[in-house]
Amino acid sequence: MNISIDLSALRALALVSALGLLAGCGGGTETTANPQTNPPVIGTYSGPAPATSDVQAFMINVWENVRSNNRCGTCHGADGQLPRFARSDDVNLAYQAANAIVNLERPSASLMVTRVASGHNCWLASDQACADILETWISNWAGGGAGGGREIQLEAPPLKSVGASRVLPADSGLFMSTVYPVVTEYCAACHSGSVANAQSPFFADGDVDTAYAAARSRINLDSPALSRLVVRLRSEFHNCWGDCAANAQVMENSIVQMAQQVPQTEVDPSLVTSLALGFQDGIVAAGGNRFESSQIALWEFKEGRGNVAFDTSGVEPAINLTLSGDLQWFGGWGIDIRSGKAQGSTTASRKLHDLIRATGEYSIEAWVVPGNVTQEDARIVSYSAGTMARNFTLGQTQYRYDFRNRSSSTNQNGMPAVSTPAAAEVLQATLQHVVVTWDPVAGRRIFVNGNPINVADPAGGGLLNDWDDTFAFVLGNEVSGNRQWQGVLRLVAIHNRALTPEQVQQNMEAGVGEKFFLLFNVSEHVDLPDSYILLEGSQFDSYAYLFTEPRFINLNADATPSGIPVRGIRIGINGSVPAIGQAFASVDATVGGSAWVPGSGQLLSTQGAVIALASGPEVDEFFLSFEVLGGSSNVVTPPAPLLPPAVADGMPQPDFGLRTFDRINATMSQVTGIPSTTPAVASTFNLVRQQLPSVDNVETFVSAHQIGVTQLAIEYCSVLIDDPARRSAWFPGFQFGTAPTTALAGNGRWLLLDPLIDKMMGVGLNRQPDFFEVRGELSALVDQLASCGADCAPGRTEMIAKAACAAMLGSAPMLLH
Amino acid sequence: MQVLFAELLGLSQNPGRQTRLMDAGVQCAAFLGWDNVIASLRRRPGTVLPARPARAMALAGLGLLLLVLGVPDAAAGARDQARRIHDRLAGVPPTQQVLDSMEQDILDGNPVAAAYRAMDNRAFYDVTLKNFAAPWTNRDQSVFVPLNDYIATVIGMVRDDVPFNTLLSADILYVGAPGLPGVPAYSMTSNAHYAALESQGVNLKDNLVPTTQTAVTDLPPGGVAGVVTTRAAAEAFFIAGTNRAMLRFTLMNHMCRDLEQVADVTGVPDRVRQDVSRSPGGDSRVFLNNCAGCHAGMDPLAQAYAFHDWDEAAGRIVYTAGNVRPKYFNNADTFPYGYVTPDDRWDNYWREGQNSLLGWDGGLSSGGNGAASMGTELGNSQAFAQCQVEKVFRAVCLRPPVDGSDRGQVASMTTSFRAGGYRLKQVFAESATYCMGE
Repeated sequence: MNISIDLSALRALALVSALGLLAGCGGGTETTANPQTNPPVIGTYSGPAPATSDVQAFMINVWENVRSNNRCGTCHGADGQLPRFARSDDVNLAYQAANAIVNLERPSASLMVTRVASGHNCWLASDQACADILETWISNWAGGGAGGGREIQLEAPPLKSVGASRVLPADSGLFMSTVYPVVTEYCAACHSGSVANAQSPFFADGDVDTAYAAARSRINLDSPALSRLVVRLRSEFHNCWGDCAANAQVMENSIVQMAQQVPQTEVDPSLVTSLALGFQDGIVAAGGNRFESSQIALWEFKEGRGNVAFDTSGVEPAINLTLSGDLQWFGGWGIDIRSGKAQGSTTASRKLHDLIRATGEYSIEAWVVPGNVTQEDARIVSYSAGTMARNFTLGQTQYRYDFRNRSSSTNQNGMPAVSTPAAAEVLQATLQHVVVTWDPVAGRRIFVNGNPINVADPAGGGLLNDWDDTFAFVLGNEVSGNRQWQGVLRLVAIHNRALTPEQVQQNMEAGVGEKFFLLFNVSEHVDLPDSYILLEGSQFDSYAYLFTEPRFINLNADATPSGIPVRGIRIGINGSVPAIGQAFASVDATVGGSAWVPGSGQLLSTQGAVIALASGPEVDEFFLSFEVLGGSSNVVTPPAPLLPPAVADGMPQPDFGLRTFDRINATMSQVTGIPSTTPAVASTFNLVRQQLPSVDNVETFVSAHQIGVTQLAIEYCSVLIDDPARRSAWFPGFQFGTAPTTALAGNGRWLLLDPLIDKMMGVGLNRQPDFFEVRGELSALVDQLASCGADCAPGRTEMIAKAACAAMLGSAPMLLH
Repeated sequence: MQVLFAELLGLSQNPGRQTRLMDAGVQCAAFLGWDNVIASLRRRPGTVLPARPARAMALAGLGLLLLVLGVPDAAAGARDQARRIHDRLAGVPPTQQVLDSMEQDILDGNPVAAAYRAMDNRAFYDVTLKNFAAPWTNRDQSVFVPLNDYIATVIGMVRDDVPFNTLLSADILYVGAPGLPGVPAYSMTSNAHYAALESQGVNLKDNLVPTTQTAVTDLPPGGVAGVVTTRAAAEAFFIAGTNRAMLRFTLMNHMCRDLEQVADVTGVPDRVRQDVSRSPGGDSRVFLNNCAGCHAGMDPLAQAYAFHDWDEAAGRIVYTAGNVRPKYFNNADTFPYGYVTPDDRWDNYWREGQNSLLGWDGGLSSGGNGAASMGTELGNSQAFAQCQVEKVFRAVCLRPPVDGSDRGQVASMTTSFRAGGYRLKQVFAESATYCMGE
């Protein structure tokens, strides 16, 4: 049984049991037709009128676009090849022919689309771009006729066991000896970064590591014939250097040679696994339910190669952007701008001027990953002439998005700008959905991740009469090339209406990038046919996949599982289970009972797991492993932790250190007997506190420390000596108040110095300096300070006492311990 | 006073007098002192001498300007050992009487008793412990912060031999004794109480009294988690941000590990919140190989603080039982498939993998609700105990453990710390006796 899914409400998946359909709980917003402007009509139609409204929708949305003689009309006209869906003589007959090659329920599955996508006479350089445009036209036809959200059939994927597989080695050595010689001989003229007219991917680059990085996703070691390097020659006849079949065989042989030297990664037999899937077995889930009614330009960057990003909006003329500088295609759709820009012609860009002027309002929508939050005045999306004149610009300044618009209330450079508040740090270096809108009444508004940013437009509304139609549309830089923005653009769209908050939210929820529904068959373990774990998978960026919201479903809508344990889900890739990123490893659920919702199954986790990419989305094969699933179990034992290596001995350290600030203060207070709260010393201590040593490592000692110590020591000694009672108690017999010649005469100086030494240095300690040596030094100091003799000023003795005290108090015996 | 200072420094307004200090004889003493220090360092086994001129100059400063008399390396006796124990523990020299008693303790073969005698000095609490705990209470890890409730609680717990493994979980608080003149009452919105205790030189050894946070604040029992919910910790680590800072600084201060040292990319990242980009700058390798390593384990632990916050306007901690603080939903659009915090349930993912080596207590549950039980989980780990011991060793011996002997001592003290009721004073005593010298 098939089940279909409404893309508008992936998170609220619901199976409609009667019809065997999955439909969105909330229902999708209606997708309405794009406005068609300037279709490349060749000649005036004079045939029969459209017979029905559906023919009319076909005529407007598809036929008018394809019947020109530079598109399908060249061959599929009235006298051309079958099917004649582009015939200009009778739109009703064209409609009949077209019905056989379109799928209005799944426009992407239309033969008209898939045929072009596989290389059938695309009128652009990119088959994918033509296919996207055709899909858009057919979707518009379907939307106009049916008026509902798109639904997707969930179909059982092919049964594929988890097989042993070969994983590309990390090192480029094997590539260098096998495939590299072939590509450098035959492909390096274009696919090398060092040649004129270099064409990415650079799998034949002069640097083998660069070449290998580019070639990895184009090599399939398990099926060499399916390698992109081979298919491109054999089936698509891409620049063969001789006979394409023979050339393809040469390429395939080189890959076979490489594969033979890579051992197969066997699946651990103890694992409880689902069946296997690749993205190619999944069901495309992207692109549904964006609000595109007023979309006049769209870049999805699906091309993945070449130097042109196509405008696939279907609105003519297409503003195809030429990539110049260091721009790389980003895995999962996007461009990674490092330097340079993607710019359209002024002629094509005029579309924006004309269509936006017609409505007087517009919106710029972009999915961006700013490369950093330090770049300033950088242009993300701009329609301008240089740094001094523009129609509009979306830019970045650090954490801010800036929006400039030229109107009757701003200058020709779109100033003053509107920016998101810097303090809010709205802009982050991660994937964000940004929409800026302009309308004549409210002026500019900014939405980030669907949320309106509360910032008023200082210029208010106005008119766009002054817009200049000679400007060019550019991404990643100013047209003048001197306002570089770095980051990833994954989608850019221009609408000629100011999107409403609801429409912004809708497009935000639609997401970006190619997504697939992956149905991992687990029937074998749960004894219930058609049982699957449904995951939405996508390439997250160039280096990883994202899998979200695992759900146990059964394609038989009448099935009612009960009591099925599901525990410890891990995502496997190419036969092995990566250790990193397994966000579903903690899932512990029992399927059935009240948690089982008939029609939509049972959600097992609301989270997403980011798993590192291995060989690329074209070739990587995924499976799920379980700790417990139904009656099967596999006990996962975490590996024993590695014991840390023995610690080597460090450098020998001194076994003494400095007394730090508070200790110095406390020590001085204790030995002098002066409370540290005494105003004079407290004041000085607060002054020098942070100047004193703060760590005890003696090697950190600097002269500034000593100055602070000195200052504090002098303060304590000053308080001590100025207090007659305290000094008498400290220095019994010493004659304060007399001249130095008297006070220091004979044994007088010892009455001063000996108490200082004993009390401040301690007595009987072998680790302290020799008493007499210290005494001698202090005595010499006293002599020097007393050299004024009879000329000494009054109070000199007290000053000398303070000096001796401070010298002792602030010395190493105090400071070192 | 300033005249004396200027004269001693030779820094009066006359530049020619800059050598005045030398004239005063200090210069000679200074250089003699420097020589003594250098000679002493050279003779001291295992000492690293300054090699760079700048360092030499810095050390020269030790002797410059003041009388520096060096540190002779004469063989130390019991008296010198006692002096060092006292200096290292109390931070101040002992009185003669105390030194005599300590010397006798050592001669009697009981140096630990001498250490305990040193810890009777109020400076052990007012100075040593205050400076010991101060860096834990602020993001700058500065020691130059006013006394606060976090520091006071640490001091009190050490003084009263409160089991230190309850530091991060107990309903405990130390405040100044009632009736201290000029000291305002404890307040949830101000640190004035503790600032006054410090500025007035209140003897913390005698005037800190235990109480509970539930008694003096409006926090319910479920909102209390030892020093984690003190006002100082909340102001420093619950302010703004996402509350991960509280866990990170707790790890740094009490497990002696920053996040880099516990990073394990193999952890299950199902609890990493939505605000963490899985593709920073468009490169998911950064997330898988770096960010996930820390966040996988950190986020499920930091969830324990989901109800806590700091109200900057009111200057107080906030606890909203049952309601996750809005900060846990910051930047939710960054990765919508990330974890949405529903409550304060925490789980210790580090019990598996490399971080199982942190020595978690097998008798405890690996998960729970609220900050207190998470604090219990951390506080009963081997890493917590070893960290406390290493910090004390570092504070008392003035160096980290550097060789096998030191590491053996740390291991021994950690064992006795855990077995002996987590009394940190005992660790101070054992460290001081280990480093008292020969």
